[in-house]
Amino acid sequence: MRGVRIGMAALAAGLVAICTPANAETITFGGILPLTGPGALIGTAEMRGVQFAVDQANAKGGMHGDQIAVQFEDNQAKPDQSILSFNKLTDLQHVSVIFTGYSGPTLAMAPLATRKKVLLVNAGAQADALSKASPYLINTLPTIGGEIEVLSQWLGSEGKKKAAVMFENDAAGMSGRDDYLKFFPESGGTILAQEATQFGQTDFRPALLKLADAKPDVMLVAITAGLLQMAQQYKQLALKFTVAGTTFFADPSVIADPSSAGFVHTQLRIDAPPDLAAQFKAKYGTDMEFFAKQFYNAAQIVLATLDKVLADNKPVTGENMHDTLLRIKKFQGLIPLEFKTNTASVPMDINIMRDGKDVLLKEMKLQ
Amino acid sequence: MLALQLLATGLVTGCALGVVAISFSLVYATTKIFHVAHAGIYTLGGYLAWSLVLYGAPLLIAVLISVAACAALGALIQSQLYARLERRRATHLVVLIASLGALAVMQNIIAAVYTPDILQFPIEWSSRMVSVGAIRLDYTQLLTILVSLAAYAGTMLFAHGTILGKRIRAVASNPMLADITRLQPQTVYVYVIAIASALVCLPGILVPLDLGLQPYNGVTPLLTATIAMIAGGVGSITGAFVLSVAIAVVQNLSLLVIPGEWSIGVTFFIFVIFMLFRPTGLFTAR
Amino acid sequence: MDFLYSYIVLAEIYVLLGLSTNLLVGIAGIFSVSQAAVFGVGAYIVAHFMMAPDPLSFIPSLAIAAVGCVALNILVTLPALRVSGDYFVVTSFGIQLLATAVFTNWTAGTGGANGLPGIPPPDLLGLPIETTAQYAWLCTGAVVLGCLGFFLIMRAPFGRLLRAIREDETAVAAAGKNVLRAKVSAAALAGAFAGTAGGLYATFLSFIDPSSFDLDASILLLTMVVVGGARTLAGSIIGPFLLLALPQLLTLVEIPTTIAAAARQLIYGLLLIMFMLFRPQGLAGERL
Repeated sequence: MRGVRIGMAALAAGLVAICTPANAETITFGGILPLTGPGALIGTAEMRGVQFAVDQANAKGGMHGDQIAVQFEDNQAKPDQSILSFNKLTDLQHVSVIFTGYSGPTLAMAPLATRKKVLLVNAGAQADALSKASPYLINTLPTIGGEIEVLSQWLGSEGKKKAAVMFENDAAGMSGRDDYLKFFPESGGTILAQEATQFGQTDFRPALLKLADAKPDVMLVAITAGLLQMAQQYKQLALKFTVAGTTFFADPSVIADPSSAGFVHTQLRIDAPPDLAAQFKAKYGTDMEFFAKQFYNAAQIVLATLDKVLADNKPVTGENMHDTLLRIKKFQGLIPLEFKTNTASVPMDINIMRDGKDVLLKEMKLQ
Repeated sequence: MLALQLLATGLVTGCALGVVAISFSLVYATTKIFHVAHAGIYTLGGYLAWSLVLYGAPLLIAVLISVAACAALGALIQSQLYARLERRRATHLVVLIASLGALAVMQNIIAAVYTPDILQFPIEWSSRMVSVGAIRLDYTQLLTILVSLAAYAGTMLFAHGTILGKRIRAVASNPMLADITRLQPQTVYVYVIAIASALVCLPGILVPLDLGLQPYNGVTPLLTATIAMIAGGVGSITGAFVLSVAIAVVQNLSLLVIPGEWSIGVTFFIFVIFMLFRPTGLFTAR
Repeated sequence: MDFLYSYIVLAEIYVLLGLSTNLLVGIAGIFSVSQAAVFGVGAYIVAHFMMAPDPLSFIPSLAIAAVGCVALNILVTLPALRVSGDYFVVTSFGIQLLATAVFTNWTAGTGGANGLPGIPPPDLLGLPIETTAQYAWLCTGAVVLGCLGFFLIMRAPFGRLLRAIREDETAVAAAGKNVLRAKVSAAALAGAFAGTAGGLYATFLSFIDPSSFDLDASILLLTMVVVGGARTLAGSIIGPFLLLALPQLLTLVEIPTTIAAAARQLIYGLLLIMFMLFRPQGLAGERL
């Protein structure tokens, strides 16, 4: 039983150590993201975006003299770990704002956010259920349905009537598929076939082949990882139909690759200025891709809100942050956006990839 | 047309899987260790080769160095971890958990060093296409089939034609007797895992050459390979290889009749039913 | 102190699962790696009945889940009677992956990959349980009952019979004991534990999705039992508490942010290896 006692003693000592409060001169925010496991591919990009924005703010002297810190917790995209991390950040670090980016974990944390009045900022997940999950959940990008409605209308007006849907077999992908099934027929088209792929699996050939067999005019895509591989396999199989998707498509490596020529997609007007993107690449060694940009943008919104809260001499609580954010309403981060509800309205374009560049085809408005 | 192309891509996936299954089968049939860390070696091989290619090494050299490094790592895991556990008379479950620990270590070293982003080999020819009739495959896919078949043939020759191969089979069939007759099972185990690790490095490089590298992507192929090995009959190299190809082809062709999201479920359903009716596998063990 | 309470609640839910796994793997010798699937079915059943248009309250839902999981667990361990050893392990793998596929794709029943949000909080005989602290009491009650049950069973002739089966099944059968009935009873009991844990989990989180009931979860359960100590009651309690705390404790280690999470998982892996090397019987296990 010696082992038991040693184990228990170490456990108790550790739990006491966790409870040590954070430094008083820094304002700490939280981030609960999948940083290991298959979801880490996206979670890490999201973390970089937030950290980059906060580092910039700190380099400029912080906010009203206070330094900003973000404590990131790894939830491995699991809801139970997210609950633990949420309670840990709110109980021990007293954070007022938590960044989150996966729909399952976010939906699990939403009731807690309501009860404890902590502002949850989601800049990654687009599942439709998020728009009404909690008054304290702010989505800095529209649900996927908004984008797909616009995309469907545009494709309908271009005479693309027959479609096949490729979706990732997870929350984000299935939401996307459901929206394609709803909006594309509403714009006068028909869905001929649909096919799932596994998140993180980069072999899209079987799905591409099966969808191609239905002879669609356009393939509607709802995948979040492995887009470059999908584009290359599409090209290798010499497929001819148009490929259409949402803002997820705007991955620098995909745009630069010749295989993506002709891909069309809705594009939330979010783009990093070249010098910002270059600084990011110098710091992290990878491109500032979609999720990094989104979370950079979200962090800017939170920082702007914090600025206002501090200027008003209010305590930095989740409630004050929440109320102030919705009172400011209009933000200019990487994109201009407006919070008419908890979910941002963002201007949107239709873009086409051509010669290694993402070119504007048509400006659209989001309701 | 569609069926043919699906068959072809299934064959490619299956051949790569087959080598994973053969290598795992070598380890499992001989040592009886559920060597999950094998998935880590599979992944590590790819990343090592990627680094070498990035620093200008020709692919062949990169492959050879990675294969050697994987073999050494495998031998290290056997001699430093599994052998110690064996001396302490650890149960299979304990060895499995230790192996899971080793897998977590390898995966996360990779994730810390290379980030979890999907990495592509900077090799231009790998995606060049070849058309055979209605079937289109790229160079990497063709190479995967050739190398995998060669690996299968090589393993068969090795197991049946060399003294070490025979010694391994002797140890596998009766470790107790092998111990008495001074075949030194523990030394044989080190050789076996080294050879298996070298083998698994091949698909570990070829698959990412086509599909990109990810740190946590080794587990799924290993699991599928394990199932192929069991269904094929433990100890049968041919069984492991053939069943891997069969599983991949069935998964691909199943798209013709059922939606893709169910193809994994259906594959495992068939497997569970199969196990109930033919619990010792398709190919009898030797 | 919600952090501490939520840690206790989750750990206690895993204690129930640990008891379930220990009963099957440690005591009856049925090496199942699909306990998370049974756990998941329990969670989905409770969620289903509490969210039905004509909702049931917590206790009846939990009872249905427990009964359902008893039946299911008998069903999934039946192959163990036909195939043995490694073959059953892999069959059990297959069952787990099959279950994950069903959880993910049967959208009408499980909400699919999107999961089921908005599961109402439980009540105990009309008393609503809403705060994390109340929850901790509820789970502690359930765990105490579970542990008491486990303890009594182990002391009863039935417990001795199970142990004997694990040591030498043929001898027990030759002695005229009904091996089949003993194994099925053990599976049934394990199912009841897993189903109850599922119900507590679903209502505590108010949201469930397939990621909580996948192969990783099954393996985590096995790890908890082995680290705690297979075959003993204390082991099933210590394992979950320790392994759930470990990732939290590792966040105390200062590491540059970009690689922190991976580095911590790496340390976790190393600890697991060291642990198996230096204390293979687990913290409170019998010498294997």
